[in-house]
Amino acid sequence: MESIRAQSIVKSFGDTRALDGISLEIEHGELFFLLGASGCGKTTLLRCIAGLETPTSGSIYFGEREVTKLPPHKREAAMVFQSYALWPHLTVGQNIAFGLEERKVPRPEIKQRVAEVLEMVQLSGFGERAIDQMSGGQQQRVSLARALVVRPKCLLLDEPLSNLDAQLRVEMRREIRRIVKENGLTGIYVTHDQEEALAMADRMAVLTRGQIGQIGTPEQIYRTPQSAYVAHFIGETNLLAGNAIGMSDGYVVVETAAGRLTGRTSDSNWSPVAGEAVQLSIRPEAWRLQDTEGDNALAGTIVERSYLGQRIQYWVETAAGRQQVVEMNPHLIHEPSAAKIVLHARHEDVVVLKP
Amino acid sequence: MKRGTAITISLIVGILFAVFFIYPAGMIVKQAFEGLRADGSRTFTLDFVATVFRNPIYQEGLWNAFLVGIGSTLATLAIAFPLALIGHRYDFFAKPALGVLVLAPMILPPFVGAVGVKQMLGVNGAFNSLLIDLGMMSSMHPYDWLANGRFTGMVLMNALHLYPILYMNIAAALANLDPAMEQAAENLGCPPWKRFFRITLPLAMPGVFAGASIVFIWAFTELGVPLVFDFARIAPVQIFDGLKGLDKNPIPYALTAILLVVAAGVFALSKLVMGRSPLGTAPRPKGRSAALRIGGWKSAGCSLFFLTVFLIAAIPHLGVLLLSVTGRWYGTVLPDELTLRHYHEALGNSLVVPSIQNSLMYAGCATLLALVIGLCVAWVVVRSDLKSRGLLDSVVMLPLAVPGLVMAFGYLALSQEGKAFHFLVGADGSPFLLIVVAYAFRRMPYIVRSAVAGLQQSNPTLEEAAKSLGATSFRTLRRVSIPLIGANLAAGSILAFAFAMLEVSDSLILAQQAQHYPITKAIYTLLSTLGNGTELAAALGVWAMVFLSVAIMGAAILGGKRGGLFKV
Repeated sequence: MESIRAQSIVKSFGDTRALDGISLEIEHGELFFLLGASGCGKTTLLRCIAGLETPTSGSIYFGEREVTKLPPHKREAAMVFQSYALWPHLTVGQNIAFGLEERKVPRPEIKQRVAEVLEMVQLSGFGERAIDQMSGGQQQRVSLARALVVRPKCLLLDEPLSNLDAQLRVEMRREIRRIVKENGLTGIYVTHDQEEALAMADRMAVLTRGQIGQIGTPEQIYRTPQSAYVAHFIGETNLLAGNAIGMSDGYVVVETAAGRLTGRTSDSNWSPVAGEAVQLSIRPEAWRLQDTEGDNALAGTIVERSYLGQRIQYWVETAAGRQQVVEMNPHLIHEPSAAKIVLHARHEDVVVLKP
Repeated sequence: MKRGTAITISLIVGILFAVFFIYPAGMIVKQAFEGLRADGSRTFTLDFVATVFRNPIYQEGLWNAFLVGIGSTLATLAIAFPLALIGHRYDFFAKPALGVLVLAPMILPPFVGAVGVKQMLGVNGAFNSLLIDLGMMSSMHPYDWLANGRFTGMVLMNALHLYPILYMNIAAALANLDPAMEQAAENLGCPPWKRFFRITLPLAMPGVFAGASIVFIWAFTELGVPLVFDFARIAPVQIFDGLKGLDKNPIPYALTAILLVVAAGVFALSKLVMGRSPLGTAPRPKGRSAALRIGGWKSAGCSLFFLTVFLIAAIPHLGVLLLSVTGRWYGTVLPDELTLRHYHEALGNSLVVPSIQNSLMYAGCATLLALVIGLCVAWVVVRSDLKSRGLLDSVVMLPLAVPGLVMAFGYLALSQEGKAFHFLVGADGSPFLLIVVAYAFRRMPYIVRSAVAGLQQSNPTLEEAAKSLGATSFRTLRRVSIPLIGANLAAGSILAFAFAMLEVSDSLILAQQAQHYPITKAIYTLLSTLGNGTELAAALGVWAMVFLSVAIMGAAILGGKRGGLFKV
């Protein structure tokens, strides 16, 4: 259990900068997520922390100790690989015992700890199995057990669930979070699956083109995205262009092509001056369909709908662009038609962003 | 891996290759173009090379070597391609066993096989006797199948010995094709035979060229076979005969330089063809193409084809085997009298037992040396990010392009009193170090290729996982990498070892004293011994065959355990 600090990490591969000056601090015992589209540098950052890549510049600290140049085997940061990286020439038990053997743990203790960790991942009695006799989900748990058994200072997980089917993935999310929390581990988890991040993370960092877009708790990231990219990447959102015309009660009033909308800024240090061009981010579930005009509303027509059981999705054409609207547990289903409909949103659900 | 280690390894290997490989080869080229002025100074001259091309005897020698090379390559291709294609496309009766059987010819040095072929197909050989017995041939006018025992015989011997090399290359090329490429053609309505010419063949061309160039270089510079067929007008034999006057006579140097240039040219050409191949950048195939299971007469036909190739290829082996148990054999189908006394006598012969010991020592040490260097090279090539790793890879493959004869000749010249490699010669004139180094560098490509293939196939995250769990680089290599590619290493080593045991050029040229002879030179010496020399040689040859069969089967089992190495 240790805090991890990265300071201005730059990693270049030839001419491309995979990491472009990343700084972040992860507290001990925290399950921290690195999230981003593929190629954003999240795996490279994780590999730098594991010591599998050396940063071009910048430094990494585990607690107070600088580990930037330390070889991976001295870092005590155990990694769970996307491909699991289980050694096919060793059995499940031998795979798990490997790290303990390297640490020269006495035989009887190895045996005991392997048995314990197998129980923790609910694979008791599988120690003698060959790797190729295990299913994908079981292999995933073996690779987790192999990393956990050495009681690492931090646990690094590189898209550990991406090779599992949807249902198993949801099950394993809770399982991994439980294990990390029960063992008081500092965990860094790389994924491109935003739902996984929202469900599991204590805090997360959204990376874009080698830089940090935003750091925060899942709630902060979802409810107050600080850029259109983050708003778009985490969850669905509708982006509208407009011009600020003034403030009222601490809210920003914005003129859009379809009418006036009032919202809040996500950055407390910034508020637009009158006439400044801004962007609005409104989540699909923040829009409500109404029949009558009202405050903070846009008029439009439904052009398409798609029924998804628990919810229904509409596309509404307005003068400010096409809006996606989601209604949970709909009691009334509208059909696409030329009839006018009104979209309404609460002030706090309209986020005003720098364009 | 650490950059520093990678650079160190590259430098050491580079220097070793420069000293033990490029220097001897370069020395020969230099000697071939270096004249002596009246005042004793040296000067560049084309006289010697010109002399070679002007002299009709050397002209004929080079031409014959070239013809044998081309003929052998074509014959090899004719055998290997259908085998590889059928093996790739279909799954038929006893395919795994037959697949190993057709590799069997590799277990006998071709020049030993030549003795067997002469016994079987010669004018008074077993085949003619059979035809005469059956009344299909007049005993007064027996037909000479080997066209005076020469050209056809040599081509046949080479082809029967070398086709497994080409077979493995083509089979590997076919196996590496992404099955989706053929399936896409199929899906777009291309019938099977058209698919073969439009998709399969073009994509397999690099493999065909790679194998064919190795076969050509091998046959072009083959020394043992023409020696046994007593065919003197061929360049390799002319070089061998010229060795006696090494100090004064520049002609062997000139001839060797010409062989080297031709061989290197062919190798470069094959590289060029491969370099242009679209496969160079193609992603690794995701799936394996499943061979089509066939039954009935089709399956029987395929099995029969494989079996026939094996039986024909085994004629030399059979001849050697029969010869080794023959009391008297002349003009009959089978020997008149069978006996085991040659084996007994062979053990008493002063050449035989020491030669087996010598060969085991030479080949064993050479394989070990090649394994250590080869593994380091493969590690750098696959796992480091050095820019020069491609260059390193090409350098260690060069021995395939340089004929064994050239290297042997260079080593011999450099190991003379007062020359650079004289320190490699032991106190009593033992060529131990010389032969070990020569064998090791010549066989390096087999080990490097198999280790590279193994490392490429094993996911680097398997090594990273070990490091992240606390294993040092060295421990990772020992506990994860080597066990994972163990089968590849074992197979490459066994191949290298087998080829070292069968090595002809270095063995014939570098071992000068009887007590240092390896097996091949002992066999060669016995063949020219009067009395029962041929039978003793055959007996020793059978021992070598048994030994190598066991070794190769071992490799096949090791390879079969993971990834089907010899199925390729």
